[in-house]
Amino acid sequence: MPPLPEWLDVAPWLALARRADRAMVRQALAAPSPGIREFAILLSSAAAGELEALAARAQALTRRHFGRTIGLYAPLYLSNYCPTRCVYCGFASDRKIQRHKLTPAELAAEAAALKQLGLEEVLLLTGDRLGTAGYEFLRDGVERLAAQFHSVSAEAFAMSESEYAGLAAAGCTAVTLYQETYDPARYALLHTSGPKADYSGRLDAPARALGGGMRSAGLGVLLGLSEPLTDVLRLFAHAAWLRRRFWAGGVAIAFPRVRPQSGDYAAGFPVGESLLAQIVFAFRIAMPETPLVLSTRESPRFRDGMAGVGISKMSVASRTTVGGYASGAAPSSAQFEIEDHRGVEEFGAMLRAKGLQPVFKNWDAVYRAAHA
Amino acid sequence: MEDGFRLGDRTFASRLLLGTGKFASIGAMLGAVRASGAELVTVALRRFNRERPDDDLCAPLAALGGVTLVPNTSGAMNAREAVRAALLGREVTGSPFVKLEIHPNPHHLLPDPIETYEAAGLLVKEGFFVLPYMPADPVLARRLEDIGCAAVMPLGSAIGSGQGLATLAMLQVIVRDAGVPVIVDAGLRSPSEAAAAMEMGCDAVLINSAIAAAENPALMAGAFAQAIVAGRQARRAGLMPRSDTAVPTSPAAALTAFLAGAGD
Repeated sequence: MPPLPEWLDVAPWLALARRADRAMVRQALAAPSPGIREFAILLSSAAAGELEALAARAQALTRRHFGRTIGLYAPLYLSNYCPTRCVYCGFASDRKIQRHKLTPAELAAEAAALKQLGLEEVLLLTGDRLGTAGYEFLRDGVERLAAQFHSVSAEAFAMSESEYAGLAAAGCTAVTLYQETYDPARYALLHTSGPKADYSGRLDAPARALGGGMRSAGLGVLLGLSEPLTDVLRLFAHAAWLRRRFWAGGVAIAFPRVRPQSGDYAAGFPVGESLLAQIVFAFRIAMPETPLVLSTRESPRFRDGMAGVGISKMSVASRTTVGGYASGAAPSSAQFEIEDHRGVEEFGAMLRAKGLQPVFKNWDAVYRAAHA
Repeated sequence: MEDGFRLGDRTFASRLLLGTGKFASIGAMLGAVRASGAELVTVALRRFNRERPDDDLCAPLAALGGVTLVPNTSGAMNAREAVRAALLGREVTGSPFVKLEIHPNPHHLLPDPIETYEAAGLLVKEGFFVLPYMPADPVLARRLEDIGCAAVMPLGSAIGSGQGLATLAMLQVIVRDAGVPVIVDAGLRSPSEAAAAMEMGCDAVLINSAIAAAENPALMAGAFAQAIVAGRQARRAGLMPRSDTAVPTSPAAALTAFLAGAGD
């Protein structure tokens, strides 16, 4: 098992999170410049008793840095071929599902369907690296989408720095790459074969992405896979380390969760809604200007409640099937089950009713063209 | 116009510039613009959306009478990106003004002095009235003035921070030495801070977060407008000097009375 880098050592913060009391929570909430110390305290069970106070602070900070707005994006699955066995994933190589990768014509149809919805930010997804649906395939997809959308990002396999540079040159502005869990032993158990089984290669990938010229790297753990407190503290440490190393690099955090009640993989360490909300609030308070992202994995009730209260960016109208937008078919082989099926207009109306402006375009292709 | 605010080739009555991000709705943004009386409004090019009218900040602002749009290059990480954004902004709006904003770090959003200086020179040559958002650095302010910027926009404190005039000492030097208008941009939280900026001799103030994040943005916009007028009037009226001790309004006995009999 690879030794963990020194910056992932969160033992003192874990101990602090376990012994924090109410007075420490109050102090952490009032800290003028909070960091990992305050973050740990805000994750404590004492802080769970102060959730309303955490939410109020998180909302105020979200308003300060993002205004009364929510950025919207949609995922677009390019392929569900995958050589890796992640025991929790619907696309894992040992699952007997229908496999498909989009042809250029199908990709054009998907793009047209998303354009029709008025979306301007698209996140392209693939399975792990394969000869048939690998780097060239992804880069080609980025190039095609960048010709039509102002903002294109990718959530795919770990790459080399030069591959990331090539992806950025093709028009990709950001990549998302979840470590899933920072616990190497759990990681090894959950990722038994395929390229993704390389823990260290994945851990270093966001740094390679920023080094290769990506404007932002999206991080996350798949909550439910491992002891959440340790994982979330390490996630914070990872984000903080990247920000120190790449002074002009952006970092975003997302909060995917294995839903305890759905799918055929039972979360070993289930994370309930209250803890999930607490984690989001703690991130907002201790890393106030970081984009925090919530997907349609979560229920409409939870998403409505979290919008603007920590969360600053959300996916909408998502299909997690390959070719899901143009066909409009019911998801038959989705990567994961979606809980929020609302369309763009319905979701936008909910945000507006809450006093939040849905933002479809917050970037411009002119910045990409400046590098052409 | 008595005491008009001269910027580029135009003169404005209002000395409040309004930023237009962060509002809860386009209606709230327009309401704040009207209540502020602002005649110059900045709008980020990245928030122009010609394909989806309910997501477009540019068209509704352009449709407002009496408002000059100032496209903003926010989002640009370097001079090359900012120049492209400025050219596109002018193409869409027809405005000769550009707010030059280059912040490579997406977390603290502080301006890059080197890229800003480089882009400002290129944009001046392109014929823009360049309004550069900049660190409160007196030397940089003069360098930007020397290459032809129409104003300088030093920050009071970081964008959205609400820390007010944290850079006060440097702003004072910039104001004292400036040959172009000084517009304090970013960080102000309250109308009293805007009044203070005007009292110390700034020519105008740009506000966004403090108005957009208020519970009642239009009411706050009006409050800032009044504070800026009050601060400007106070500056023109001439503030009395500060003193550490009480100054009697009718001195009882002048310490220097004996000099009246001096032979010189």
